[in-house]
Amino acid sequence: MPAPDALTQSVELDLFHGPFDLLLTLLLRDEVDLLELPLVDLVEQAVGPGVLDRWDAEAASQLVLLLAALADLKSRRMLGEAVDEEPDPDALEQRERLAARLIAYAPYARAAEWLAAREAASAGPRLRRVPLETPAPVAEPGRPADLAAAMARLLAAPPAPSLVHMGRPRRPLPEVLQRLRDSLVRLRTLSFDRMVEGADRLEEALTLLAALELARRGDAVLDQPEPFGDITIRAAARG
Amino acid sequence: MSGAPERDLARQVEALLFLSPDPLSVVGLCELTGAAPGPVQRALALLAGRHGPDGGLEVAEVAGGHVLRTRADLAPVCDRLRARPRDDRLSPAALETLAVVAYLEPVSRRDIGRLRGVQVDQTVTTLLDRGLVEEAGRPDGGGAMRYRTTRAFQERFGLRDRGDLPPLAGFALTGPEAEALRRRLADAALLADEGGEP
Repeated sequence: MPAPDALTQSVELDLFHGPFDLLLTLLLRDEVDLLELPLVDLVEQAVGPGVLDRWDAEAASQLVLLLAALADLKSRRMLGEAVDEEPDPDALEQRERLAARLIAYAPYARAAEWLAAREAASAGPRLRRVPLETPAPVAEPGRPADLAAAMARLLAAPPAPSLVHMGRPRRPLPEVLQRLRDSLVRLRTLSFDRMVEGADRLEEALTLLAALELARRGDAVLDQPEPFGDITIRAAARG
Repeated sequence: MSGAPERDLARQVEALLFLSPDPLSVVGLCELTGAAPGPVQRALALLAGRHGPDGGLEVAEVAGGHVLRTRADLAPVCDRLRARPRDDRLSPAALETLAVVAYLEPVSRRDIGRLRGVQVDQTVTTLLDRGLVEEAGRPDGGGAMRYRTTRAFQERFGLRDRGDLPPLAGFALTGPEAEALRRRLADAALLADEGGEP
């Protein structure tokens, strides 16, 4: 607190004349209206020029603090803000509504606790959960003879595999190729149909391959005037 | 001593309880066995006496019917055979929502939300997915869908039937508790004011 003499200094204003601390008390009791108090006058009187001649620095700064608090209080009142000891009726009503809601809800919150305890207490027992649609696992009575017959089918030897496609006489392509080349050298022109007369499909195919090979190498010229017709194989003119 | 017909009925009831996936009501047991409610009740009592603490099974009344189930203390060994469903503990919000539905059913999401003071759509959806609440139709003349608890709810919480809940009034705050709550709110308001001061 300021030094006693600083607090009890006399102030002289239009609406108050007396010690500074009495003014503070009256202001807090609302017996003097803060809004009507010329704060600047009060500041000037309390801590005006020559303040350090009258009070030491500590007393002066505490006076400044008190005056600042008064300025703050006054500005808040001017802005219409709620101040202590003057509770806003709206806020009170809101608070009461909230309280009523919490009180109304409290039983349910407690019921939830009861449910939780109840759940814990009921957690032990286990129930069978077998849907009725699941067929009962009861086997049809089976006859041993059926089992034996099924096993016999498994044990029967499978039919021997056919080997008819194996062991065909083979005629390597180079051999066919050589024969065709020799014929061509002798005759210059050959008929494919005549060459394969009486030959089997494999030989026919080999002969065709040989003819194509000679044509690829440029040793022969193939000519097939019509589709599926005879093929003329001519020895290529050597350039 | 019970006579042969009663013993026979008890055997039938035991077999049915063993096979049934759901709790069997007395009415259901009467239909299945062709016996009257009285003898069925006596058969149930006989069975309950037979499945004492010495056995692994017990006859219990849950969710509107009777079940034959394993005893609670055997849960650990039972769960080695069949894993419990994945951890499906209920959040506090879900439990409170369940409590509101259980006491007020049928009740709409909006009414639940008004009481709880928060949006409950998500919570109700979760409870629906878990089969703990179900739709209970709309009021006559239309309106919001209302919800009620299910038999799975009764099974889970070990309730005998829909009304098997303690009276809500028993959970109400006492006068001093309500007063304490008001005081706490006032203190909180004061603190908020203090905090507003520079």
